[in-house]
Amino acid sequence: MGGKRTDLLRGTLDLLILKALALEPLHGVGVSRRVTQITGGAFRVSFGSLFPSLHRMEEKGWVEAEWRASENNRRAKYYRLTSSGQAQLKAEERDWSLLVKIMTAAVESV
Amino acid sequence: MPGRIASFFRNLLRKRSVDEALNDELQSTVELLTREKMKEGFSHPEARREALIELGGVEQVKEEVRAIRLGSLLETFVQDLRFGLRTMGKSPGFTAVAILTLALGIGANTAIFSVINSVLLRNLPVKNPQQLVFLTNPDDQGGWFGFVDGKRNFLTYAEFQEIEHKNPVFSGLLAASSFTTSAPVQTETSAQTAELSTAEVKLVSGSYFSLLGVDPVIGRVFTGEVDNVRDANPVAVISYGFWQDRFAGAPDVVGRRIRILNTHYTVIGVAPPEFHGETVGANPEIFVPLTMQSAILPGRDDLSLETDPLRKAEWLQVIGRLKPGVSLAEAQAAIKVEFQQMMEAQAAALSQSDRREFLTQYLPVAAGAHGASTLRADFGKPLQVLMAVVSLILLIACANVANILLARSGARQREISLRVALGAGAPRLFRQLLTESLLLAATGGAIGLLLAHWADATLLRMVSRGPDTVPLDLNPDARILAFTAGIAILTGILFGLAPAFRATRIDLNSVLKKTPQSVSGGSGRTRRVPIGKTLVVTQVAFSLLLLVVAGLFILSFRNLSQVRLGYDGDHLLQFAVNPGTYGYQRAEFIPLYTDILQRITAIPGVSVVSLTSDALLSHTYSESNIRIEGQKANADSDLEALWDFVGPNFFSATGIRIRAGRGIGPDDSGDGQCVGVVNEAFAQKYLPNSNPIGKRVFVSDSKPDGFEFVIVGVAADAKHSGVREKPFPRFYVPYFNHFSLAANDGPSRAVFIVRTLGAPSSVSSAVRGAVKQSASNLPPVTIGTMDQRLADSLATDRMTAELSGAFGALAIVLVCVGLYGIMAYAVSVRTHEIGIRIALGARRSSVLWLVLSQSLLLVLIGAAIGAPLVFAAGKWVSSLLFGVRPTDAATLLVPIVLVFVVSIFACCIPARRAMRVDPIVALRYE
Repeated sequence: MGGKRTDLLRGTLDLLILKALALEPLHGVGVSRRVTQITGGAFRVSFGSLFPSLHRMEEKGWVEAEWRASENNRRAKYYRLTSSGQAQLKAEERDWSLLVKIMTAAVESV
Repeated sequence: MPGRIASFFRNLLRKRSVDEALNDELQSTVELLTREKMKEGFSHPEARREALIELGGVEQVKEEVRAIRLGSLLETFVQDLRFGLRTMGKSPGFTAVAILTLALGIGANTAIFSVINSVLLRNLPVKNPQQLVFLTNPDDQGGWFGFVDGKRNFLTYAEFQEIEHKNPVFSGLLAASSFTTSAPVQTETSAQTAELSTAEVKLVSGSYFSLLGVDPVIGRVFTGEVDNVRDANPVAVISYGFWQDRFAGAPDVVGRRIRILNTHYTVIGVAPPEFHGETVGANPEIFVPLTMQSAILPGRDDLSLETDPLRKAEWLQVIGRLKPGVSLAEAQAAIKVEFQQMMEAQAAALSQSDRREFLTQYLPVAAGAHGASTLRADFGKPLQVLMAVVSLILLIACANVANILLARSGARQREISLRVALGAGAPRLFRQLLTESLLLAATGGAIGLLLAHWADATLLRMVSRGPDTVPLDLNPDARILAFTAGIAILTGILFGLAPAFRATRIDLNSVLKKTPQSVSGGSGRTRRVPIGKTLVVTQVAFSLLLLVVAGLFILSFRNLSQVRLGYDGDHLLQFAVNPGTYGYQRAEFIPLYTDILQRITAIPGVSVVSLTSDALLSHTYSESNIRIEGQKANADSDLEALWDFVGPNFFSATGIRIRAGRGIGPDDSGDGQCVGVVNEAFAQKYLPNSNPIGKRVFVSDSKPDGFEFVIVGVAADAKHSGVREKPFPRFYVPYFNHFSLAANDGPSRAVFIVRTLGAPSSVSSAVRGAVKQSASNLPPVTIGTMDQRLADSLATDRMTAELSGAFGALAIVLVCVGLYGIMAYAVSVRTHEIGIRIALGARRSSVLWLVLSQSLLLVLIGAAIGAPLVFAAGKWVSSLLFGVRPTDAATLLVPIVLVFVVSIFACCIPARRAMRVDPIVALRYE
């Protein structure tokens, strides 16, 4: 098991998954690897959190899933961002920047 | 949103395919990861192992995904339910005990609540009942004749008409006789005239049905027209029950005729089945316009305006319906002013002191949605006490079931740990355990509802005075079902919470590795005992409370049944005849009564027979102001006395002792000087230190001139109206008297008192036959034995004592079981420790004391907590008690000692087991 575990802020995981899917459709393992990649190896998402998140997003209509062949010709379930998922990504990015700004200002005050 | 709803249904309906898809996805993920690991240089089996480790367990992930799915709550609930049923099936003994305990508790609560609901809570089955306002006193029924002061119970017909005419706050008003009259009726069915029978008749104003908003099931109801002309409205609306019973539900009943007394009435409509008038617990069968009063209640005129305030007949219950937007407070204010003006006008001719007293009258004017009922005043408090008692029982039962569940959750720890290891989260497990408790409670509740239905028949007898039960509707309505469901859920949560909390806090490793015994002996023990002990302490406190209350009621009932009535209840029969109601003229009364007396005296087995104006142990009485010869009249403090007309031999028939002088004999009848007998209370209060015999007493009756009598004897005090009656000045004057039989003023009925030689029931049919021979026009008389009457008058007290006694016993049994369980458990987990103690030389007696002291401490704490509750409860019920004070040392001490003895008994078996622990066996365990 990957030793390093940084606790993600609530809601951060959704943002990271949406961001990972923004470029191209991915299967579960692909999402996990992409998140590790875009965070410079700081975050490793456990599958125990990843799959519930993906299924919740599917029910909310942010992502769509379809079965297709993977890079090495295995059947895998690929998740793709829908238009409402893209809107959600935009919104979450905006919220996050705002939060960072506020928190930075707060931490650097005094 | 549509997407969400769609997926909700997909999840529910196509659970299998959704599960399969999830399975496929996870399998493919495992394969993808395995490939990845193989690229990193692992062999296939190793790569697969690594992949599974990284995924973190297929089943756990599945469970996590399922948990977030929509509809998962419902789905897992169904699962839990199925699992719960299987668990219950696996331990039928436990399940049966738990369900039975709960069913008894919930059933008792539902039963009492059903009665409370129909007597105290339920609205009348009429339109918008919350708009109804009683101007009169809904808690009383009957009639008041003569001068009254203070709170007014009823209105006269003239007063009703005046208020109805002037009122600014009500959209309408109705009046109805506050009582029903039992009258002989003859119905006309299609072919022939039915047999003579009796029915309950109620007199109502024309506005009665329309104001209440009660629509007939067939025909029509009265209109204001029936109020217009006196004695000219022989029409009737009949109750649904009467229609079914006497007309067999004939659809063409409208237009048929009913003879009541000597008048024929035409049926114009049938009231709906749920409607029994404005009085809860009454069962009027025929409604007749008020203007027919003299035909239903012959020999009186209760309708005309009576200008003399001393002769008024107040007998009408009056209800108004608030105009939209008018509040109860506004109505109260308006009616207060109006009533005050009416009273001022009526008081114009009164003397100064009478006037002052007269003007203290006021109308209650209260919200009337629940209708009228004397049951509220009579049974409201006992019912509330019983409700409190049964809810305590339910709490004790809850504590017991919780205790059993706790013990079981110890035994189920391995099962639960296994399920945690398989991926069940704590909240999920918690929910499942709670579902099991709720399942138990719901089953208990359902059975309880059935028990309650059966128990209500018994309770109905409690609120019924005579042989007939009160027609109360106790069928479960929405409120009762909600109540039962509510307490079932509440109890389920109450007893399920502690075990569920405990079970979900488990250290996996320690549990799975060890044997069940050592588990519960280890980490479980420190947590378990405090919860269990708290439950036992609570049980002790509550049961103490119940025992004290039960003790109070039992002592109170014992005192009541030992009260000396002042007369001999054995071998005494009593029955009333009311010839005026059945067409006899006053002049015919004396010959009729004399004839009845003679015929009954001739019956073999009858020892003495006499008659009186007011029945013994009934609620009718006459009270008047008196003045004694030689004493100055005092305007401020009138001398008051109760009195009866009594026939010859009254004292020997009843057995009331004559202390001085003589009783009233046959020679005292007639036109001569009126004689009288006073009771000891009269003599002591009004004629202290002097010989009462020969003194003259002036009675200012409602008659303008009053009457006077000479005291010829002093009788012992007797309890005429009931066991609780306190001695009060009373006098007796001859029944056959010149003024007692004068028009309108004397008693309208006679109560015959028959002393028998053998069993009273053996002569009752002969007595009935004798009356039939004397007066063929009278319906068969209802004969009651005085013993029965006495038992009836104490029925509520007996019921309260018996029920609270039974519940107290149940409580002590439950506590005994609870204490036994907790101590047996404590001993079993301490076997090891006790073994070491014994091995180190502890004496058996000190081991015994170790266990006993522990339970006695619990009982002591429980008693300490219970004591203040006991005082509060004692104060609360004191108004129902007779001859016992709730603070009596004995009533407190006995239950405490009882609880101690029982708890020692409960600990005996566990303590003996502890004492006999074999150190070698105990230590060999580990």
